[in-house]
Amino acid sequence: MRRGNRTVIEMLVVGVVASAIGIAIALAIDWFPPAASKQAGPIDTLWDVLLIISVPVFVLVTVVVLFSVREFRMRPGQELEDGAPIHGNTRLEVIWTTIPAVIIASLVVYAYLVLRDIEKAPANASTEMRVKVTGQQFAWEFEYPQAGGKTIKANQLYVPKGTSVKFDIVAKDVLHDFWVPAWRMKIDAVPGITTHYRITPTKLGEYPIVCAELCGLGHAFMRATAHVLTPSNFSAWLKRQGAASSTTASSGGGSTTATKPDGKKLFASTELACSSCHTLADAKATGTTGPDLDKVLASASLADIKQDIASPNAEIAAGYQAGIMPQDFAKRLTPAELTALATYLKTVTAK
Amino acid sequence: MPEIVRRPGLARGGVWLLAGIAFSFGVSCLTRALYHLDTIDGDSIARIAMLAAPFFFLAGLGAFSYWFYWASGKPTLPEDHSAHGAHSWKDYFRINTDHKVIGIQYTVHSFVFLFIGGLMAMLMRAELAAPGRQFVDASTFNGLFSVHASLLIFLFIIPVFAGLANFVLPLMIGAPDMAFPRLNALSFWLLPIAGVMMLGSFFAPGGSFSSGWTAYAPLSTSAPLGQDMFTIGVQFAGASSIATALNFLVTIITMRAPGMSFFRMPLLVWANFSTSLLVVIATPFIAASQFFVLLDRGLGFRFFDPGEGGDVLMYQHVFWFYSHPAVYIMMLPGFGIISEILASRARKPIFGYRMMAFSLLAIVVLGFTVWAHHMFVSGMQSWIRVPMMVTTAIIAVPTGIKIFSWLATLWRGIIHLHTPMLFALGFLTMFTLGGLSGVILAMIPVDIHVSDTYFIVAHIHYVLFGGSLFTIFAGVYYWFPKMTGRMFDEGLGKLHFWTTFIFFNATFAPMHLIGVEGMPRRVADYSEQFAGWNLAISISSWFLGLSTLIFLYNMVSSWRGGPRAPSNPWRALTIEWQVSSPPPVFNFDSLPTVVGGPYEYGVPGAVHAVFKAPDQPVTASSSSPTREAH
Amino acid sequence: MEAAAISHDLHEHHGPPAANHSSRVDPPMLGMLLFIISEIMVFGAFFTAYFFIRVVNGDQWFPFEGHHLPVAVAFVNTTILVSSSFTLHWAETSLKRNNRAAFKAGMLSTFLLGLTFLFVQINEYVHIGFAPHDFAQGSVFYGLTGLHGAHVAIGLLLLGIVTLRAFRGHFSPESHRGVEIPGIYWHFVDAMWIVVYFSVYVL
Ligand code: HEA
Ligand code: HEA
Ligand code: HEC
Ligand code: CUA
Ligand SMILES: [Cu+2]
Repeated sequence: MRRGNRTVIEMLVVGVVASAIGIAIALAIDWFPPAASKQAGPIDTLWDVLLIISVPVFVLVTVVVLFSVREFRMRPGQELEDGAPIHGNTRLEVIWTTIPAVIIASLVVYAYLVLRDIEKAPANASTEMRVKVTGQQFAWEFEYPQAGGKTIKANQLYVPKGTSVKFDIVAKDVLHDFWVPAWRMKIDAVPGITTHYRITPTKLGEYPIVCAELCGLGHAFMRATAHVLTPSNFSAWLKRQGAASSTTASSGGGSTTATKPDGKKLFASTELACSSCHTLADAKATGTTGPDLDKVLASASLADIKQDIASPNAEIAAGYQAGIMPQDFAKRLTPAELTALATYLKTVTAK
Repeated sequence: MPEIVRRPGLARGGVWLLAGIAFSFGVSCLTRALYHLDTIDGDSIARIAMLAAPFFFLAGLGAFSYWFYWASGKPTLPEDHSAHGAHSWKDYFRINTDHKVIGIQYTVHSFVFLFIGGLMAMLMRAELAAPGRQFVDASTFNGLFSVHASLLIFLFIIPVFAGLANFVLPLMIGAPDMAFPRLNALSFWLLPIAGVMMLGSFFAPGGSFSSGWTAYAPLSTSAPLGQDMFTIGVQFAGASSIATALNFLVTIITMRAPGMSFFRMPLLVWANFSTSLLVVIATPFIAASQFFVLLDRGLGFRFFDPGEGGDVLMYQHVFWFYSHPAVYIMMLPGFGIISEILASRARKPIFGYRMMAFSLLAIVVLGFTVWAHHMFVSGMQSWIRVPMMVTTAIIAVPTGIKIFSWLATLWRGIIHLHTPMLFALGFLTMFTLGGLSGVILAMIPVDIHVSDTYFIVAHIHYVLFGGSLFTIFAGVYYWFPKMTGRMFDEGLGKLHFWTTFIFFNATFAPMHLIGVEGMPRRVADYSEQFAGWNLAISISSWFLGLSTLIFLYNMVSSWRGGPRAPSNPWRALTIEWQVSSPPPVFNFDSLPTVVGGPYEYGVPGAVHAVFKAPDQPVTASSSSPTREAH
Repeated sequence: MEAAAISHDLHEHHGPPAANHSSRVDPPMLGMLLFIISEIMVFGAFFTAYFFIRVVNGDQWFPFEGHHLPVAVAFVNTTILVSSSFTLHWAETSLKRNNRAAFKAGMLSTFLLGLTFLFVQINEYVHIGFAPHDFAQGSVFYGLTGLHGAHVAIGLLLLGIVTLRAFRGHFSPESHRGVEIPGIYWHFVDAMWIVVYFSVYVL
């Protein structure tokens, strides 16, 4: 029995020391990507608290296992002996039911408070900035509703630093998930409903946007970039886009325009999102998911290019695979638009 | 016709299978002709064949023969018990109604799928060793992780537990067999059908199913034919587990030996009782979720078409209402195994036996109230999240009771560090880690960030590998002598444990970090920033794969030529150890009578079960199992 | 591997010892009851689909846009199915009282009532005017009634066998498990229909 008591004390000491070291290491690890939103702070703190609680629980279990093995391992001569016939101890059982219950209860309350905090609407909720995010296989599109019912579209995300932004997220085909790791928030884009979250960017810079819900072959490539600008730069950007969009208002697949379709505008349009996957110098497109069109189309015929767009699986560019490039352009483009697009590609890539 | 295709068996099964395919072809063409569609449609024929042909196969195999006779009131074949026991390896490839044979069929069959599924993981890790494309394209990669998870869940973890329990549970409760031996045989034979179907999907036009083991709509409703092989394969695996669960429940309720009250049952029996309840109640939901998908795909139903009023999130609710309980279906039997091993290898009664039983039931009940923790970022009604967070976190309490009671069972025991015990101790620590990451995931704000990242992949493997698979290894080593009559090689067993333990952690621990740092799951390609860790993970994972080969070698060589096992190598008290190794064909000459608890180690003179004085001394220890201690 | 499950030649043709009955319930009956729990859950999942599409999604339910369900015909059909439960019960009690003629008549009428139900249901599909792929409500309607119809078909198969055997002189007041177990299933199928009828047609 005395030996037992000494062991318990020894265990306690080892446990406390190991927990301290464990917590120190766990907190020293640089777990997160940069924290670039107001929401990141409380989440990261919650994470630290969870680590501080988890480490001792793990240490406790491990230390008891190791000490039991050290202390009570069968010694020569004990081959046929049995341990002490202890069937239970109500007090202990009450203790190890209550303590975890209390820990769990506090964690849940804390997590709830954090949740409320990160989802809280700003004081000026009605005038909060909104961005509509559309996920489709395999590109993102961002729309900025403007006064007067106009919208500005882009396939990279631009937001001003320091204002709360609410995203209205929709999906065109299957589930996607709009995640900016640096902002910590994510939510699925669900066909048929609009989902939301809000963040307040706190750091200037460029952060990856990641699609986090399996959406098919191009899931891994469904990336874009979030640019956090100073408010003044942001309004300047908006104004530029506004000006551009008023001249290209009718660009985009299937849109009914009386004028002859313009291949370049089609290529750059956010509905078709060609530039999110392809590199094309003339359109300043730098996507890398699909082939670099400047290179591969150098000697392609017009008919080939048309086929490449209308039925991408008919012929697969070397090193790439079928199924990533959307299959429905034939439906989304009128024949005239398809011709215009292909002609444009042929002219700008021909050597 | 040659004899072999007329006698029930694999050959006749094969012939009937072909007949089934021809039949499906006919049905498909006829129906389509009636509806004025193109008569021949490959997808439609394939779907009907996948649904119908397996029944032809099973009938050919002889799985239904008895029932046909019984239902028609014809005299059933006189029960000469020729189907009991296995006389040669060929008997394992037939319909056999002996629970011990079925147990071995199940276990070996499941391990085949562990190796196949593991091999897919090796390929995945090869692709993920570096950013960019290595060996496989995105389509194959998505197929690999989908099939990897589906095989390991539906054809390894769930059935292997059913297999181990099939072997030992009737012995443990003193029953001569399961309640419905023929249903038991049918349950087993449904599995190869599911397995072949899922594996076969790699040969389907358009590639294997590739929407993950979760098969979320609408990705799954618009995927090529391979998806049907998941959708339909799961139905067969699910039917198998429901049938087995019914069988376990009825066996446990109606066939316990005299004196075996509920609170004298070994905890493994309690664990399988709880698991079977989960299966009976939850599994119909995955069946239904896949029916929906099948109807949407095959007949153009609109369950998941938002354009026509369908609801995409409904899939996830129905799916997780099964699949969260399923994670406990994959863990509770393991808890039972650990209780058996810890008690007998620490030579001490289980600490707090009743609380151990009640905490199982608590997990069963709570398990039905937490499904939406998989949907915190799914866009569902946001008010559901907080109640689900609370219930989810509460599960840590009954689970904690179990962990702490096991620790207390070790304390002041006499610990024998045999291989099963090493795996049991490894389980205690590794499952705690997995459980803790589960509690972290339950906290909504953290889950919002880490959901769908490698942090989840880390959690999955800590609970499923460090939890379930460790208990399976422990259980297989523990009952190997009973099942085969041979001892395994202890040295190789220890080597297996240590290599597995080390490389398991080296493989899966870093995934926590890269997940939080921002690496999403289910991607074949990732950003440069994660390259270093992924290479390290891949290398460790290959060593982890190699460590499994030690196990394979140990099992095969020991089964063929290991030393003969005594009837009770672990000096355990539960009834399965009181009969010879392997047990006699009919388990007992006369039923044992239970006179005490199952874990009365160290209690002077305590006995769990006695055998009535048998007329012949056949069973190895037909005398009462007095304890060998002084 | 031959080592596994070695048989003791001595005992080859002895049977196993009879199992102890640790519960008063009959194992096959318990098995059927548990199976019915599973079946209820299958319906539960289909009702979940119904709930999501009708309540959560808030889609209009029948009648809408000129699509309506034949509530009255379905009501008659409901009474047909429910009465089959009574005839089945009559058959069972008659068998126990060894009234074979009533037993046969009861089984036959149960079977025919069930068949009528199924026929009316199929007829309803033919004339209802919308298809499962027209809108999600249609999918739910066909899903729930179709799932139930499939159960009726299975129940009829079982009852058909029992009826045939009844006419061949099988079963006796002492041995009637072969009637009772399909019987329980049939009662379940009936009860389920009432739930389906109320939630799909009436509410
Ligand atoms: C064997 C399988 C298994 C088990 C047992 C568990 C157990 C638990 N799981 Fe896990 N889980 C999975 C398998 C499993 N899980 C899988 C496969 C997925 C991913 C599915 C997919 O998307 O593909 C998943 C995903 C998953 C999610 C969703 C994450 C996401 O997708 O965003 C969540 C969130 O809450 C979660 C939580 C939990 C919790 C709280 C437990 C608890 O039951 C754990 C309880 C145990 C302990 C806590 C440890 C012991 C306790 C103590 C020592 C007491 C003291 C402790 C404290 C005071 C904290 N799991
Ligand atoms: C019981 C369950 C179980 C088990 C045992 C495993 C075992 C392993 N798993 Fe698996 N895994 C899951 C269940 C499981 N997994 C689930 C549910 C998912 C989620 C899927 C989804 O997103 O839908 C998943 C996903 C998953 C991923 C994420 C994929 C992604 O999201 O992109 C990865 C990546 O590394 C992975 C790796 C491994 C590895 C390395 C092993 C190793 O432990 C395997 C060990 C190897 C063997 C046992 C094979 C035996 C060895 C040989 C045959 C010899 C050959 C040897 C060499 C070539 C060296 N798994
Ligand atoms: C989601 C990514 C994606 C988008 C969006 C996309 N593509 Fe592609 N594209 C690819 C991939 C991957 C390939 C290579 C495989 C193949 O040939 O189909 C490809 C191939 C091509 C080719 C053939 C190249 C060759 O080698 O012959 C052309 C031309 C092309 N795309 C044009 C377009 C145009 C025009 C658009 C917009 C209307 C577009 N793509 C949108 C991914 C994309
Ligand atoms: Cu879009 Cu993944
Ligand atoms: Cu879960």
